[in-house]
Order: sequence, then structure tokens, then C-alpha cells
Amino acid sequence: MRRIYSIGGGKGGSGKSFIAASLGILLAKHGKRVVLVDLDLGASNLHTLLGQRIPEKGLDVYIDKRASSLEEVALSTTIPNLYLISSTKCSLEIANIFYAQKLKIINAIKNLPFDYILLDLGPGTNFNTLDFFLIAPEGLFVTTPEPTAIENTFIFMKSVYLRKLKLSLKEANMWHICQEEITKLSRGALKSPLDLISILVARDPEKGRIFEDLLSDLEFRLILNKFRGQVNENLGEQLVEVCNRHLYPSFDFLGNISYDNRVYESIIARNIFIAKYPYTKTVSDLQNMVRDLTGEKQEPVRVRAQR
Amino acid sequence: MIKKFKDLNYYELLKIPYNASSFEIRQAYKHILAIYEESSLATYSLFAENERKLILSKIENAFLTLIDDKKRKNYDNNLVSTGEVSDNILTEKDKKKAIPIFQTSRARANNNSLARIKKKIQENKVADLATNMLKHDHISGKDLRNLRESLGIELEEIFQATKISPTTLVAIEKDDVVNLPPKIYLISFLKSYAEALQLDPKQVVDGYIKNIAY
Repeated sequence: MRRIYSIGGGKGGSGKSFIAASLGILLAKHGKRVVLVDLDLGASNLHTLLGQRIPEKGLDVYIDKRASSLEEVALSTTIPNLYLISSTKCSLEIANIFYAQKLKIINAIKNLPFDYILLDLGPGTNFNTLDFFLIAPEGLFVTTPEPTAIENTFIFMKSVYLRKLKLSLKEANMWHICQEEITKLSRGALKSPLDLISILVARDPEKGRIFEDLLSDLEFRLILNKFRGQVNENLGEQLVEVCNRHLYPSFDFLGNISYDNRVYESIIARNIFIAKYPYTKTVSDLQNMVRDLTGEKQEPVRVRAQR
Repeated sequence: MIKKFKDLNYYELLKIPYNASSFEIRQAYKHILAIYEESSLATYSLFAENERKLILSKIENAFLTLIDDKKRKNYDNNLVSTGEVSDNILTEKDKKKAIPIFQTSRARANNNSLARIKKKIQENKVADLATNMLKHDHISGKDLRNLRESLGIELEEIFQATKISPTTLVAIEKDDVVNLPPKIYLISFLKSYAEALQLDPKQVVDGYIKNIAY
């Protein structure tokens, strides 16, 4: 069964690419066929985290119609079963991709013949990022325990909901009837997608419910990256609870990833962190997540902390 | 439809069941306060100051209402009358109560069993049996047991009234010398036993000691 995960989170430098690469490697080691898609268009660098030089082909070949399918431009990596679709060679103006090209890419990604498709997204909340994020029914939000990252993540989450609702309304040809109200509501800081839903329900209860169901289809999980000892250990759960209460009840907490300075060092040295330091807390945290994602999670054996 | 935060009732706000105990309410209050307090990292960017104030005051009200039995009852009645929840939360009498660490009700049980024993002694006219027993020099455990049984008093009741352990009581009634406590304790136990059965303690103690020494 094909599963698509998009990995986003608003703030730059929160570790989205690192997590995408690491989860990809671990899933591949689990014997799954995995493809990483670098959708940070115009700022693509996922290959570096995999210890690779600039790939000779990627998304550009597909966009220029020099490849008949997206699968053709998926390059094998040093890790068996792991493939990469890079966007390094794309034009410098690719960040402002044409709508038609975007749709073409989205459809192609949905049909990639792999077990796991991981989408690495760029920071920010522009329409391209949001649309790529929404390719997957399951989204992973990466944040760090810093106020700035949390702030951006909330904004990103709200934008995702607003975008989803807006696109579905347009698709159902209902956008024009509530455009004014929704734009007005989202101009000030949008509090919760539930406010938008209640506007729709007030207008047309039956259709409003349909849109509510539509939002219920989304499944989001939160990853707290760069977790250090001095941080409140319940922060992840608290964030998820807040999201479920004030945004929309579709969030789960996937776990903390411990901070390790060697991650930084490996990136500098262009090594693969997981391969070089497989017995670190950071890697075991990532492994737990992979077990969770593949549904093999069992309760970890609690080992008493050594003094 | 999914409820908005401001429409949650106090129980939903604190995420507790309708029959939550005061302990659970306290725990839930602590938990939710950690999320919404001003210094919380999880929500600092999500709410404006006045919104946070509103939320915190609602949490405060929820806690103060639910922790007070009287106010909670009123609130429950209100919930039912507005039709928000079905009325079986009111009939549900098994609301969890905090369990006291010390069982203070034991003293009352003691009084009760003493009173019960007294009542039984009054009801059953066995004065003859008692005076007959006391006439003898020697009083055996069997005599004591006969008297107790003819009064219809259970061993348990003697135990509750005197706090002498049932095994000791059995040993006394069986003249089981090996298992009897040391003499000094035995004397005070016999005294309590005699008092419970409204016999003359001195006579019972003397007779019993004489009998087993014999």
C-alpha cells in the first residue's frame, strides 16, 4: 500500500529536511521502497543530507517533458531501496512555478509506484508549499521547542486548513458565495478553522457538514525536534492538545527527537548522521517514529536511567 | 458537529467524566492550567491577552464550581435542564469520593457492636446461666463460650467490641494453653471479655486462671 507523508512546519531550520532524510533512510532499512521528493523548490538541498553531490537529473527533466514519468527521474542513492527526486537542477525561478505545472507534479507524485513517498517542503506558507503539503492525507509538522518555531507552526497549520477549505470550496463551486465572509475572517488572524465551518453551516447546514467531514479526513502528527533536557517534557503533548481543541481535532503527537550537536557536525561534514552515529538517542527517537508510522510500534522497554 | 472551545461545558473543558472525583478534578485543573497559563510555551502565541484572560477565568470557574459539592450539584441540574446532558448523570449516585487514609469510622462500629451485645444480653434472659457459672471456683473457656452462644453473640462481635484478635479469643474459649498470650495480657483480655458480657471481671479472671493452672 502506498503511503504519502508531507513534512512541513513553517519555520526554516527546524529540521524538516533532516527528518525527511532520516525517516527515509530508516524506512528503506526496514525493507520498504521509499522515495524522497525535494519540494523545497528554489532552495533544494536534500541530496546534501544524503551525502550526495548535485544530482544530474531531477524534477526539471520531468517538467521539461524530457522524461515520460516522474519515476524515471527518481535517482537511487547510496542506501538500497531509497530513491531521491531532486529539484536542484530546476530553473532559479522554479519557486514561482506555473499552476498547470504544479498540478502535473502533484498528480505525478500521487501516482509514484513506491511504498512510502516522503515530501520535503520548504518554509513559509506560500500557496505552492501549502498545495504540496496537501498532496498527502497525512502530514507531519516539524517544530522545535522555541517560541518562534511554535508560532510559525501554528500559522502554518491554520494556513493549511484555510487552503484546504478554499480549494474544496472552489472545486464545489461554492467559493463565490462565502468568499467575502471567509476573506474577512482570515484577514485578521484566523482563530480556528471551526469558525469557517460554522459560517458554512450557517449558510447551508448540509453542505457545511460535508466540508467538516473533508477536514476530518486530514491527519496530522507533530514532531518536536531538537528536544533538550531543560525543555518541559510535556510540551509536545500540550501542543497537540491545544491544536486539537483550538484548530481541529486531527492531531497526534509522534514524539520528541533529541538534540545532538553531532547532527550539525555531520551536516557540515556531509556525512549521513544515521549511518555514522546509529547508537544515539536521536536515532533511537527516529526509529520509534518509523515503528509508529509502519504500525509496528510496541511499548518500549523502560530502562532505569543510569546515574 | 465538533464543539468550539467556548461552547465546552466545565466537564469537557477539564476533560473529565461526569462522575469525576475531587482528586481527578484537581489533577485536571493542574493539567489544563499548565497549558493555558501566561508563561506556557504551548499557547503563548495563540491568544491575545484578553482571550487568555477569558480562558483562564473560565477554567477557574470550572474548577471552583466542580470542586464544591453544592455548586456542582446546581451546575449538573442546570446542564440537565438545558438538555445538554442526559439526566442519568444526576441519578448516578456512585460519584467517586476520596478515600480517607485513616478509617475513622471504626470507633463507631465498636460502639455499635457493644450496644448490640448489650441489647442481646437484655433480650436473652440467661442471668441464671451466668450466676451458675460464676458460682463455681473454676471457669473454663467452654463456659464462656456456652454463655456467649446462648446469648446469640458472634465471636466477631466480641472482637469488634474488645479488639481482642479472634485467634486469641478462640484460644481462650478452647482453653488452648499453648496458644494463649502471656499471663499479664491474658488477664486484661479476660477482663475485657467479661466486661463485654457484663460479668464480674475479677471473678472471671480468678476462675479462669485457676482452671488452666489446675
